[in-house]
Amino acid sequence: MPKHPTTGALFPPWTNTAIRLAAGFIAVAIPGALSGLMIFVRSPLYTGQFVPVQQPLQFDHRHHVADTGVDCRFCHLTVETAASAGYPPTEVCMSCHAQVWNQSPLLAPVRASYFTGAALRWRRVHRLPDYVYFNHSIHLSKGVGCVTCHGRVDQMPAVMQVKSLSMAWCVDCHRDPAPHLRPQEHLTDLAWEPADALEVGRAVARDRDVHTRTSCTACHR
Amino acid sequence: MSTPPLHWRSAEEREGESAGARHGEFPPGAAEMDGATRRELLQLLAVTLGLAALPGCTRAPPPEVRPYTRQPEDVRPGLPLHYATSMTLGGAATGLLVTSREGRPIKIEGNPDHPASLGATGIFEQAAIYHLLDPQRARAFKLRGRGRAWNDFLAAVVDPGASFRRDGGAGLRFLVEPSGSPLLAALRARVLTALPNARFHAFDPLARDAVYEGTRLAFGRPLEAQLDLDRARAIVALDADFLSEGPFRLRYQRRFADHRVPENGMNRLYAAESALTVTGANADHRLRVRSGEIASLAVALLAAVAPERAPAGAAGPFATHPWVQTAARDLRAHGAAALVVAGARQPPLVHAVAAALNALLGSAAVGYTRPALDDLVSGPASLAGLARDLEAGRVDTLVVTAWNPAYTAPADLGFEELLARAGTTVYHGLFEDETAARATWFLPATHELESWGDARALDGTVSLVQPLIAPLWDGVSAAEVLAAFAGLAGQGARELLRASWAERAPRPEPDFSRWWDRAVQRGTVEGMAFPAETVAVDWPALAAGLATAEPPRIEGLELGFRADARILDGRFADCAWLQELPDPITKLTWSNALELSPRTAERLGLAAEDRVEVKLGGRALVAAVLVVPGHADEAASLALGYGRGGAEALARGLGANAYRLRTGAAPWFASGATLTRLGGKIPLSITQEHWSTEGRPVALDVGAADVARRHLPLIDAQKGPQPTMYPPVAYPGNRWAMAIDTSRCTGCSACVLACESENNILPVGAEQVRRGREMAWLRVDRYYEGDLHDPKVVMHPLACVHCEDAPCEVVCPVNATVHSDEGLNEMVYNRCVGTRYCSNNCPYKVRRFNFLDYREKLPDTEALAMNPEVTVRARGVMEKCSYCVQRIEATRLGAEREARPIRDGEIVTACQQACPSQAITFGSLHDPASRVSALHADPRSFQMLHELGTRPRTVHLARVRNPHPELG
Repeated sequence: MPKHPTTGALFPPWTNTAIRLAAGFIAVAIPGALSGLMIFVRSPLYTGQFVPVQQPLQFDHRHHVADTGVDCRFCHLTVETAASAGYPPTEVCMSCHAQVWNQSPLLAPVRASYFTGAALRWRRVHRLPDYVYFNHSIHLSKGVGCVTCHGRVDQMPAVMQVKSLSMAWCVDCHRDPAPHLRPQEHLTDLAWEPADALEVGRAVARDRDVHTRTSCTACHR
Repeated sequence: MSTPPLHWRSAEEREGESAGARHGEFPPGAAEMDGATRRELLQLLAVTLGLAALPGCTRAPPPEVRPYTRQPEDVRPGLPLHYATSMTLGGAATGLLVTSREGRPIKIEGNPDHPASLGATGIFEQAAIYHLLDPQRARAFKLRGRGRAWNDFLAAVVDPGASFRRDGGAGLRFLVEPSGSPLLAALRARVLTALPNARFHAFDPLARDAVYEGTRLAFGRPLEAQLDLDRARAIVALDADFLSEGPFRLRYQRRFADHRVPENGMNRLYAAESALTVTGANADHRLRVRSGEIASLAVALLAAVAPERAPAGAAGPFATHPWVQTAARDLRAHGAAALVVAGARQPPLVHAVAAALNALLGSAAVGYTRPALDDLVSGPASLAGLARDLEAGRVDTLVVTAWNPAYTAPADLGFEELLARAGTTVYHGLFEDETAARATWFLPATHELESWGDARALDGTVSLVQPLIAPLWDGVSAAEVLAAFAGLAGQGARELLRASWAERAPRPEPDFSRWWDRAVQRGTVEGMAFPAETVAVDWPALAAGLATAEPPRIEGLELGFRADARILDGRFADCAWLQELPDPITKLTWSNALELSPRTAERLGLAAEDRVEVKLGGRALVAAVLVVPGHADEAASLALGYGRGGAEALARGLGANAYRLRTGAAPWFASGATLTRLGGKIPLSITQEHWSTEGRPVALDVGAADVARRHLPLIDAQKGPQPTMYPPVAYPGNRWAMAIDTSRCTGCSACVLACESENNILPVGAEQVRRGREMAWLRVDRYYEGDLHDPKVVMHPLACVHCEDAPCEVVCPVNATVHSDEGLNEMVYNRCVGTRYCSNNCPYKVRRFNFLDYREKLPDTEALAMNPEVTVRARGVMEKCSYCVQRIEATRLGAEREARPIRDGEIVTACQQACPSQAITFGSLHDPASRVSALHADPRSFQMLHELGTRPRTVHLARVRNPHPELG
């Protein structure tokens, strides 16, 4: 005595639609969620790109680099010798500002630091995880200029991170460094752009024995 | 039972029971979790997963950077600086080069310009940083436990009206460490000028008084014997562990090892000793005798070498012993290249006989200089004098700068109680230890890495001590304490030192500050080594000494004491790294134990870990039994330094306090000990059977004669190409490789600690070691060979061998262990998910897993010792030897910046740098002229577990034995 002797089906017909919709949702949602996450970790939202970092001290790279023409290495003292480029000690600031703008209220914290010995405080803009052993000196030595990773700092009122600093971004260059290389005399020239970047890069690679470096321990120890 | 394996590490292994077969792949308990069932674990995992998602919701604010205001001239953040300084043990100095990063010392190496170091370090030097950063160190001046300041002490004790100043300081006593420091000598002289009746006593529980007494007996005046092992080809060591004890142990290891390879001319070592020591393990002919029998053995040797010089009938039971006869013949045959060494544990007579033997043989391998120490008596006799004065109430003020005499003093002196007899007791020490608890005033000491000073090496060379860091806590150095009593309280240690050298600079220089700067930079003062003294044996005096000396009677079981191989006299007991370093011979960690030979243990019905009561002369203690093949029968040995009861939290309650049985009359061995089994066990943490290679031949040794005629079948079977299914890989550039010469290796284990210091390897604790979770990347396996009771020893250092066809790499599901373009087997911590498949598949068992977060236990101060160039690993991560890849990369960057190839020998791994015997060589096989290429091609080189076809980049060179043909 079944109620639907003609069909004899276990499930009502609408379930067909439901199962199709559910299968469709799963087929879209799971890859969607996964690819969404993968897109997210690559997006500036996650990498922290393009967020100008406000410093406790009003310091304008535009003025110092573009207007005054101070070379990056004048303040970032150890960029050619050590892993870290280094933040300038207060006495480097004062080497100019003892003479120039020596009454400016903007520079009061610098003078205070110099005379009391209390350190200036800066916020870090570019940060790599602790398990990454990045070394500035070798990159400069091999012809990677400042602008390649840090962008046009000379145009930033407050410095921001412009590259993703993801491992994929590092490895892109480590696999094929030539297009990113420049002659030593243009390392700190942020505006320098050759017409034939690849040709120039290849010449630098030959000249400075630049090779791919993709072993894990090159960066992770 | 089948035939025993060629090499074995314990009696059980010798019987054919492999540790692996008994316990499975990992040591027992290694893989089990504490206090959680599988079900609970899964529940925890689910919770963890949920919680793990939470931190993703916030982003940490960008960290703050604080640059210098004025950058010091030489300091560049991120670049290491190296400073020369020195470290003093037993009054004698070892020169160091300390690596400093951002103002904190992180690694210690030897100073190549210093005679005691020659560029090498031992375990105590390596551990100095942990000693400095020990969170248990005393932090405040105290008067009867209440906090005070240095000025309070100066006002209260050193006050001009103080009672000790009466009668020219007749009530003032100093108890100091024996020292050769010119600064301390000058300060002592100033104290005695101001207070002529004050008196200095020196005390060191490991005093070498017998050396000076022995030379006085032989030559009429106390002298320092300077060994020149370069010239020695036949060496007889009479209870002398010269490879691991004494101020020149690093130098002697190097010179000894130089002649353990056939190319340089082999030496032959005869060692007679009770407990198996590092020197005994390196001997070609080792004689197991009780320490008390050494004296008659020495006389028998004298009789065999020069019968006319030995008293008639004095030859004793050893007269016809084949060991004595052969050694005597060998010594005579070598003449100027013969050497007899007596150990500091033996009475002066043995030293005198050794000196006489060397003189008779015309040995060029030993010379004499004036003693390096200013304190010729610093043993029990020295302390007994002070004890008499204390007992008679003649001491008004006692100033103790010697290490912890309440703990180390002979048991029969009752020194702990006598300390209270002084009106005021002042104790100056690094820790609030047993002596601090009994002192009126406690003065915290600065560590040597925080102080200025100077020190003398055994050969007279003076080196400077300069601080690497400002004192972490309140404290003063021993020099400053003395200066206060000399009326120089206002001066800091640096001014005192500089002023003392301004008077004493060897060559009058027009500009003292230039001389000073150079001395501080080099670490050593030029031209201060003692000149050699001409000596002549005083035969009548020696004969009289021999005639009157009664050989010690041995009745019943002999109990021997010795300095612990890892914590010495106990002063390093609070260092977890040293506690966890396996003893070179017994592989015991975190404790001492009563060592017995297998035969004696069997006779007494004792087995390993049994709780026993040890009784000697009416005193008793409870210890754990450890059965050690190679120990003399009817003798027991117990290391000093354990059973601590001071404020050093880590050391408290570990092991048994051997000082409680040690008397002034018999500081090193005494007979008549009784053992009573108490029932129950004391668990010991011993690593000897961890990480088994299942009885396969891995530690090979060959005879010198076989090397000479290239008859090395066992070695030849362990090298050459193996069939492989892997496609060949080209390594066009550097091919990093290592060679470990087990013939040079003495087993001292300095490399292990150097590796831990360089690579941020953390201690895990006694209980974790018992479960086989120790983290050391480099281990020194000690294999026995032959007779259970009198085995030969092969030392076999082993870390990751960097296989070209690495079994670990193919099983990692996440590519966390991969091969570099230069052949390194890389371990990428940030990729590792902790499956441990790699460790399962590693035939060498050199991978270590972080079962727990061992960083949690790391005190904040000790975190300062971490090398910033190496990741500090978290829980759940596998780790292993990286060939010090951070050093490879640092060298590479330097070379590439200078646009030149890396030179051979430019990269030095941490183990290689520390190794006193230069057993480890690192370099590139790409360069056919490199040292490592030559060693890989050496006929003695073999690939460990060659039959597996892993093609290791580390090869071992077989140990060479040089037995006398007649003893075989």
